[in-house]
Amino acid sequence: MVIEIKNVRRSFRSVVKKEGLKSTFGLLFRPEYHVHEALKGVSFTLEPGSFNGLIGSNGAGKTTLLKILSGLIPPSAGEVKVLGHTPFHRTLDFRRKIALVMGQKAQLWWDLPAIDAFDLIRAIYEIPKPTYQERLHTLSELLDVQPMLNTQIRRLSLGERMKMELIGAILHWPSVIFLDEPTIGLDVFAAHKLREFLKVFNQKEKATIILTSHNMDDIERLCSRVLILKSGEVIFDGTPTGLTEKDEILLRVRLLENVPLAAMQQATGISDVNLERRGDEQINGNTFLFQIKKDQIVSILQVLMKKFQIADMGIEEQSLEKVIQRIYSEDRARTT
Amino acid sequence: MKHHQKIPHPRLQWRLAALKNGLQDATAYRIEFLFEIFGSAFVPAAVQWVLWYALFKIGGATRIGGMTYLEMIHYTFATLLFSQVRGGDHDFELGDMIRTGQLSNYLLRPVGVVEFIYIRGVAPRLLIAGICLLLGATVGLWFGLSPSRMVGAMSLALVGNIIHYQIGATLATTAFLWEESYSLLMVKNMVVSFLSGELIPLNLFPHSFQWIWKSFPFYLYVYGPAEYALGHWSHEEFIRQLGFSFLWILGAWLAIRASWGLGLKRYLSLGG
Repeated sequence: MVIEIKNVRRSFRSVVKKEGLKSTFGLLFRPEYHVHEALKGVSFTLEPGSFNGLIGSNGAGKTTLLKILSGLIPPSAGEVKVLGHTPFHRTLDFRRKIALVMGQKAQLWWDLPAIDAFDLIRAIYEIPKPTYQERLHTLSELLDVQPMLNTQIRRLSLGERMKMELIGAILHWPSVIFLDEPTIGLDVFAAHKLREFLKVFNQKEKATIILTSHNMDDIERLCSRVLILKSGEVIFDGTPTGLTEKDEILLRVRLLENVPLAAMQQATGISDVNLERRGDEQINGNTFLFQIKKDQIVSILQVLMKKFQIADMGIEEQSLEKVIQRIYSEDRARTT
Repeated sequence: MKHHQKIPHPRLQWRLAALKNGLQDATAYRIEFLFEIFGSAFVPAAVQWVLWYALFKIGGATRIGGMTYLEMIHYTFATLLFSQVRGGDHDFELGDMIRTGQLSNYLLRPVGVVEFIYIRGVAPRLLIAGICLLLGATVGLWFGLSPSRMVGAMSLALVGNIIHYQIGATLATTAFLWEESYSLLMVKNMVVSFLSGELIPLNLFPHSFQWIWKSFPFYLYVYGPAEYALGHWSHEEFIRQLGFSFLWILGAWLAIRASWGLGLKRYLSLGG
């Protein structure tokens, strides 16, 4: 296994600042602290060459986990091994084999063109010049940024900058790549290009990749395995298709009459988490989407046919985004 | 005949590349760079000149601290050169990187972050030192000063630049504890301005207070080089002071290792 983590916990202590000037002065003499548990016993292993998605809402612990895996911060408890190394020791050998790309943190120098930064990176990682030139050519071709290599970083668009960041991060051909929201703020075309590139790089170079993203397209198109984090705990670990191919379906029913959502809930007994009213009533009629188990179809349809006039119906494909939204809602309902 | 380019040792390679990169970065904006070289030097020099003019020409003093008006002007000129080499605020950059989490970008590269930031930051200083040396040696010749002394003095100023950064890099680690090190580094710079001899010659200190500037390495940045360049220090004294400066480097290196070793255990890598 390339990554093994066992029962990893991490907590952070921060100062609590109450509202008002009084508390501002109070802080000078007697600060109050709050301890936040970002990770609560996370365990999993990852295989070499795999492409893994790490998803979760804001504050779920994704970035903290990546920081621990890359060796930036130590865990408060638990064991972490990446490529056989304890990441926080940050040995030279470890640092040569990994890369971390943070969508919100620029690694290249703002006032210099990317080509100058890449040359420094080449020297840092002791990459032979012919190898460097070959890699740079391949990467800049794949990401379509060759004409911009000599342009000052600050003059590039967000998408172009992100592509340069990615090149700078992987010029040394790392075995493990941590990507923290690499498509954040990118337009559809740039995000697509970046995704295509990551896919090719993973397949060709067999690098193990962990990707965090709020963009479900990233996860769906790239990852063979998904881990969902919720409040510092892994609440799902499996394939993306495993998430959508449970024994649940999305039943679409269009009625001829106008029925309020509350009435529909009452009639079918389906909660608002699993029931959605879609579109403009004038155009689409009165369409409802039911997120239900397969064995519920017959009973739901019986109720609907008895109480309402059905115009048409069908089974729809579930989007990963919806499924994850539901997993979160269910988890929230369970814990409250 | 084939030309074989000599490739430097890998350890030297990244350092040379960082120097080159630092110089490229510092000179990215030409006007800003020229202002940095020439602009910042003239205010302290003007303050000194006004002060000496007032004391000697208006106040009627003939000697102050054993120095004549002309000697004071020579000293002012010498400090103008060496105080330019002392500067460079890359210790502030370190503190800011710890606070904002930008340090993460460097921690995962296979090079020492403190040394890397220094080398990138010192690159323009080396260029400035070269310009100042050329200027000092040329003007010095006119005043009968030895060019070899000017070379020695500039070397001491460069050693002072290392010590200055090392102390700053150690103080910057307070950002691991308190999240901010800006004020502390500002106070350090103010103390350095005073105790380096950049504003007044340190021999103007009352005899009973001389121990204050002698207890710190700051006099090695400007006062020491100026004294040697102007011929006030003997060669033996210069060698002795150079020896002291290496001891300071060793001590500060140990302080950096200890403070960064402890600090990094508290690093939070904030900012996303």
